[in-house]
Amino acid sequence: MRILRLSLFNLKKNKREALAIIFLTMITTFMFSVFITNGARIDHAYDEGFKASGSVNRLIIIGEDQYHDEFKRILEEEYHPERLSENRYIFSAMTDVLDNNNEPLSQNLLFVTEKTERQLEDFVKTEMMSEEEIARVEHPIWLPDTFRISKGYILGDTFTVIKAAVPYPFTVVGFYESGLQSSDSYGFKCVLSDADYDLFSMIYRSGNAHSYVGLGFDAPADFSLDDFIDKCEASSSENIRSDFFDFSYDNEKNNETTFLSIYLMMTVFLSLVTFIASLFMIRHKIGNDIEDQMQQIGVLEALGYRSKEISLAYLYEYILSGGFGAILGGILAVAITPALDQGIMIMLGRGMHESPAFSGVIIVVLAITALVTLFALLKARTVKNYPPVVAFRRGINTHHFGKNPMPLEKEKGSINCWLALKGFLSDVKSGIGVSICIITAGTTLLFALLMVVFFKDGTKSLETLMGTDVNILMVNLMSDVDPYAVRDEIASLPEVEKAMVTYDLEFVSVKDAGDPGQIMVYEDFNLSDTLFPCYGRFPEHDNEVMIAFRRAKTQNLSLGDSITLTSGGLEKSYIITGIISSMMNSGTVLYMTPEGYSRIRADGRAHIIYVYPAEGVSLDDLEAKVSSLYGMSAKDTVGSSAAGGSLEEKIRLAAEEKIAVLLSQYGVTDVDYAIRIGDQLISGNSRNFVIKEITTYQGIIKSQMAPIAEVTKKYTLIAAVLITVVIAVILAILSSSNVRRQRHSLGIMKSLGYSSHDLMTQMALKILPVTLLSVLIASVCVVLINRVFWTALFGVVASTNIPVIVIGDIGLILFCYAVTYFSAGRIKKISVTELMTE
Amino acid sequence: MVSSILKTEKLCKSFSNGGLQQHVIKNLDLEIREGDFTVIMGSSGSGKSTLLYALSGMDKPSMGKVLFNGTEIQGYSNDELAVFRRRNCGFVFQSVYLLENQNVLDNVLTGALIVQKNSPELVMKAKDLLKKVGISDEDLNKYPSQLSGGEAQRVGIVRAIINDPKILFADEPTGQLNSSSSRDVLDIFSDVHKRGQSIVMVTHDLKTALRGTRVLYLRDGGIVGDYSMPVYGENDLKERRNGLTAFLEEMGW
Repeated sequence: MRILRLSLFNLKKNKREALAIIFLTMITTFMFSVFITNGARIDHAYDEGFKASGSVNRLIIIGEDQYHDEFKRILEEEYHPERLSENRYIFSAMTDVLDNNNEPLSQNLLFVTEKTERQLEDFVKTEMMSEEEIARVEHPIWLPDTFRISKGYILGDTFTVIKAAVPYPFTVVGFYESGLQSSDSYGFKCVLSDADYDLFSMIYRSGNAHSYVGLGFDAPADFSLDDFIDKCEASSSENIRSDFFDFSYDNEKNNETTFLSIYLMMTVFLSLVTFIASLFMIRHKIGNDIEDQMQQIGVLEALGYRSKEISLAYLYEYILSGGFGAILGGILAVAITPALDQGIMIMLGRGMHESPAFSGVIIVVLAITALVTLFALLKARTVKNYPPVVAFRRGINTHHFGKNPMPLEKEKGSINCWLALKGFLSDVKSGIGVSICIITAGTTLLFALLMVVFFKDGTKSLETLMGTDVNILMVNLMSDVDPYAVRDEIASLPEVEKAMVTYDLEFVSVKDAGDPGQIMVYEDFNLSDTLFPCYGRFPEHDNEVMIAFRRAKTQNLSLGDSITLTSGGLEKSYIITGIISSMMNSGTVLYMTPEGYSRIRADGRAHIIYVYPAEGVSLDDLEAKVSSLYGMSAKDTVGSSAAGGSLEEKIRLAAEEKIAVLLSQYGVTDVDYAIRIGDQLISGNSRNFVIKEITTYQGIIKSQMAPIAEVTKKYTLIAAVLITVVIAVILAILSSSNVRRQRHSLGIMKSLGYSSHDLMTQMALKILPVTLLSVLIASVCVVLINRVFWTALFGVVASTNIPVIVIGDIGLILFCYAVTYFSAGRIKKISVTELMTE
Repeated sequence: MVSSILKTEKLCKSFSNGGLQQHVIKNLDLEIREGDFTVIMGSSGSGKSTLLYALSGMDKPSMGKVLFNGTEIQGYSNDELAVFRRRNCGFVFQSVYLLENQNVLDNVLTGALIVQKNSPELVMKAKDLLKKVGISDEDLNKYPSQLSGGEAQRVGIVRAIINDPKILFADEPTGQLNSSSSRDVLDIFSDVHKRGQSIVMVTHDLKTALRGTRVLYLRDGGIVGDYSMPVYGENDLKERRNGLTAFLEEMGW
């Protein structure tokens, strides 16, 4: 009982330190528990959600004009898939939509009928209007459940699709479990009524290749898409690889769970950091406690207590505080599970079908308590090194019979600084624990800081890794327009910084690669604001190419290697001169000069102008300016109100709109018209149109990248705050524990005339060498981690923001100094008189 | 006329103990003269050490004034008191209180370098003083645990006088020493005093008190007796002892 009383006495005496241990073990247990209970569930959540939808695991859609019935036969005979169905789909990439808040977005949408949906999956409805209500809705739409879970849609909301400037509002009548096409990246499958589907079929009719034939099936394990496309191309004798779009369970799951997995891994890392720091802190504290209570230990030993029993006193202390903290952390993890479920559901866009396994929390609580106990036991066992005589001669272990570092007779500068460094050199060993704490916590903090700064302006920094200029207008010209003349005109506008002629992103096959390539052409790469090769240089000749870092990694390609591209029966080899960070289209983009492009796509035609706005000019203003110069684009003309004044004006406007529809939606290149009304002949032609379409990346960035940027920024901000608190707690404990241990010496120093400020300064300066070294190591670590993070996550090389690290380092050093200084405030309470009357 | 270096007016010091106020020093008026070797005696619990701490700025009085060379110090903050101590006072403690992790020379210099800049002269002075009290050059690198009680206390005295304090306070400096060591230590005090050092020493040992020039007797927080010792040379030790013994017997010691 006496032993337990000693533990309770220690806990009571050092309430703050006990609370800090409770806090640290609580945080550690909480984060580990969150990982243990949710790591597997996230994996299962996707699987369970997918399973609940009854979906096939693969859907390949092929442009209607390129599709041959033979393809289905090849699939059946060569691969023997299960649940094979052939249906019609409308796929609309980067579609302008208005969300439930009437905010414009750009999304990939796949439109299907209910019949098609039921052939792909079970059409499991999660929430719906009554049949009577649905019957009253003119344009009903069923949306994937993610719209309800993640995007805040409710029944009756309006979902507006904008096609050729014409809004098509739908009423949301229900939500359903969607296996495939349920994400921003891969698009959303929307179920329309047959009538609306037919209407959209007309609007999206071929010519623009928006109508597709889809083959949905459960793919066998050995199914190879490349192999299948090869067979289809061989069968049709056409180069149709770029007309195949593949949606698969594996790809979509990987895409949707990647970020959650990364956040979970970061959570584990954070908990590890906290745990390691806690263990070292506990070790340090026990060491201090033993020294502090050496006389008491001697008395107990003299009374006949064995060192093992005395060790138990320290052990109980940590079983009590560590165990209590672990239990609190476990309870917190359980309590927060509903909120976490909500967060996971929002990120996955799927319901959680599996209950959390709280047994995992119990295991974590027990494991953390056991580890803390074990660690405490190992240190507490050192009591046996102090038999009564040694223990009575209190402080014997702090004696230095060897070297006397930094003797005072050589003192220069500040005595406080000198004594602090002398103290540090006399006790370097205890600095190792502090160093490990600061290195681990500092690395995490600096990394979190890098992330927070990177995402501070939303997607702005992420855009620099896109692999294309994002803040531009892409002006798609009519076929008979001279792009170079238009470019020169546009470039001369004061609102324009520069303009460049380029080509459509054309698909080509890359030999020995799993995915195709898309060629991006720059007549002068130096015109780009955001393209910078990580390695090598931009292509300059027609046989040179620059590839994305992800492709270089996956295909094990390096500078000087060659890749072979095939397209339209041509096969050309290119030398890799550069490697670039490019997230665009999963790193499939190939960068070439116009001459390089012409080698593989001889029929290619430059008809797109990239327009870069001048400083301070918004893209909207620039678009308005360009439109005012050349008239509305054909696309925008469609649906514009023909509200002219006279009959002739009305007829001309109506005719222009008809021409615009033909140009922008049916691939018509040239139209002439003549209308006679009595004696009057009203004529015109399509050559009035210069611009076919003006597009930007802003919508797609807003819908796909903004949520990632926002979540990452918030997560890393929370991580940064948490780690800052952890560092503060650890340093505060160490500092106040050191004050307690050195109370005697500090009292003597006070009697000699050292003020509390002097002694607190010495305490803070004492950890400065450790802090400096640790922060330096942490900086190196964070550079490496940052590199691995971006490469693993996005397949890009992100340059590390060194100024931010330097500022972070300085901040961290000052923070450590300040925390240690103020935590040593206990020195003020040390009474010289109490010391002398002890 | 000898000026006073330290003076108290209506000095009070109380402690709160379990909600009860314990008045240790009560309205004490006292004047310590410059160059005196003042000894404070009294029975256990009479408030000797408490008075010493209040006089030396180690502790703040509850009420009343403490004037050092005419300047009130009772209102100083803790840090101001620290500066006051380092500039004006030296301390010798019963338990010596050397810094365990510093060798002999560093213990002395730790006290010195907070007041003055390092210089070869300062180091030389420390070594000379240590040599004078019998600490040889070979012992300079020893740590406190390697010293005898007497040696440690001699180092403590050197540390206390290295800054040439205006006043030296000692709290039962021979309390833990054997008679031989005590004698050595007291010889040092006498020697220092002869060179003009003002000393205030608390003791309950007659032999120690005999080294003083003035003995104050404390009882229940107040000075009840003030005895001036005959000057050295005029009387032999026996006479001094008899005089002091008579005073102490009168005080009920």
